[in-house]
Amino acid sequence: MHKVDAIVVGAGPAGTTAALTLALAGARVVLLERAETPGGKNMFGGMVVACAAPEELLPGFWQDAPWERQVVKRVLTVVGEHSATTVAYHGDGSAADSAPAAARVSSDALVGTGLTLFRPRFDRWYAERARDAGVTLLTGCLVEGLVLQNGRVSGVRVARPDGVLEAPVVVLCDGTLSLLGKDAGLHQGFRPDQLALGVRALYRLPEEQIAERFGLVGQQGATQEFLGCTEGVRGGGFVYTQTETLAVGVVLHLDSLKIRCLAPYQLLERFVASPYVATLIRGGRLVEYSAHLLPEGGLKMVPRLSGAGVLVAGDAAALCYTNGLAQEGMNLAMTSGKLAGEVAVEAVAAGDVSAARLAAYDERLRESFVLRDMKTYDRAVHLLHRDRIFSAYPKMVGALMDGLYRSDCEPKRRLGRLGRTAMGGRVALRELVVDLVEAGRSYL
Amino acid sequence: MNIEGIFDVTSYRVNTEAHIRVVHERCAGCSVRACTFACPARCYTWSEERERVEFAYEACLECGTCLVLCDQGALDWHYPRGGFGVRFRGT
Repeated sequence: MHKVDAIVVGAGPAGTTAALTLALAGARVVLLERAETPGGKNMFGGMVVACAAPEELLPGFWQDAPWERQVVKRVLTVVGEHSATTVAYHGDGSAADSAPAAARVSSDALVGTGLTLFRPRFDRWYAERARDAGVTLLTGCLVEGLVLQNGRVSGVRVARPDGVLEAPVVVLCDGTLSLLGKDAGLHQGFRPDQLALGVRALYRLPEEQIAERFGLVGQQGATQEFLGCTEGVRGGGFVYTQTETLAVGVVLHLDSLKIRCLAPYQLLERFVASPYVATLIRGGRLVEYSAHLLPEGGLKMVPRLSGAGVLVAGDAAALCYTNGLAQEGMNLAMTSGKLAGEVAVEAVAAGDVSAARLAAYDERLRESFVLRDMKTYDRAVHLLHRDRIFSAYPKMVGALMDGLYRSDCEPKRRLGRLGRTAMGGRVALRELVVDLVEAGRSYL
Repeated sequence: MNIEGIFDVTSYRVNTEAHIRVVHERCAGCSVRACTFACPARCYTWSEERERVEFAYEACLECGTCLVLCDQGALDWHYPRGGFGVRFRGT
């Protein structure tokens, strides 16, 4: 007879959602977190697209959660050799006006937009809600390995006097590297071309100055992504607005970083010093530096999602993607955590935690938007592994725009001729056609 | 904006023992030494004097870049003991 019904490893968005789902269904669940407080190992200062999973568990969730700004403005900047060209999407902000914090927007109004938030704050708050629901949260508790019995996961080893915790089901939400998933035989370890490194500097600035620089009102927020700012390394730059801070960083494909022999903090330094970023953070005080890996290998990277006595969710299941225009991860983590929790509840109640029974989780993920979205954009994920997109094309766009706006009393040339000049030496026509066809197949 | 200060602002609860160990016998055959430039916390340095990679664990951000990029399998890699290591605050 077990003392608990389930063990969840990792109190991030996936793990806390899984534990909460189990507890709300009456299961006895232990949530283990290696940081002193949940979120303490997470640098994410980006954007989450509003997600129904936690709202279904805790009505009013997004209204109560400690988020920073509601994103109404999304900016994409392509950095060339002598200029940068920007496309900006700007919602009308009808949902996030200058309402006082207490009255914030309703949870309904948040759906369809993004929120910026800090994981150290958000994860801690969310884990407290899980505790309120009956989850036993143990922090400062590193899981060192799994307990395996006849090929079945039956518990975890922790650095505590008692040493071993056992339960019928273990839900692994141990993050990108998922050493435990490897332990369980769900994957063989991830490759450099499947992972990206994010490094981020956080700058503190007065709230009004952030609003002014980004053209925002009240709790409105903006995100800005940069292409062509990583010196030939596949990746990009970002600036995200929080209430009183700007998160500024670069994301770099590990295989590409290795080939180019560049240091991530040097790329960050030059990004921060570039004229397009320096003006945004002017006067800001540096308060934190952080780094983290992201799964960016698309569907092929997704490990086996379940086995006897074990389920895996969130980053640990590589449920995260970027298609170049949108980056999603936290919503996939929370949704997969909820589905894992539901399947665990049913399996424990039925007294059957076999691999065949728990495979119901794989099926539900495939039916949900999680794996469907990853499938929809899988081609785009692979397109974004072509070096040209991060170097040659941004330079080409820059040269084209330089030519278009040049005013030097010389006769003007047509756009087509400017384009051919801009391509010169950077991209062959054949390559451009091949990439355009692939882009068409990826997005259309 | 000077980057030097960047390594001094992050908060840690430093453990008394290292959570990652370089297995020098395996490391010796490597000419790429990706860890010495790709580690975002500059934990790995090449020592000309000792002719080997030196590792300082205190500033580790626990990202895993070194583990993924080391193709010699020369790292005995673990997370720090529970409650130790980097502590991100978001402020």
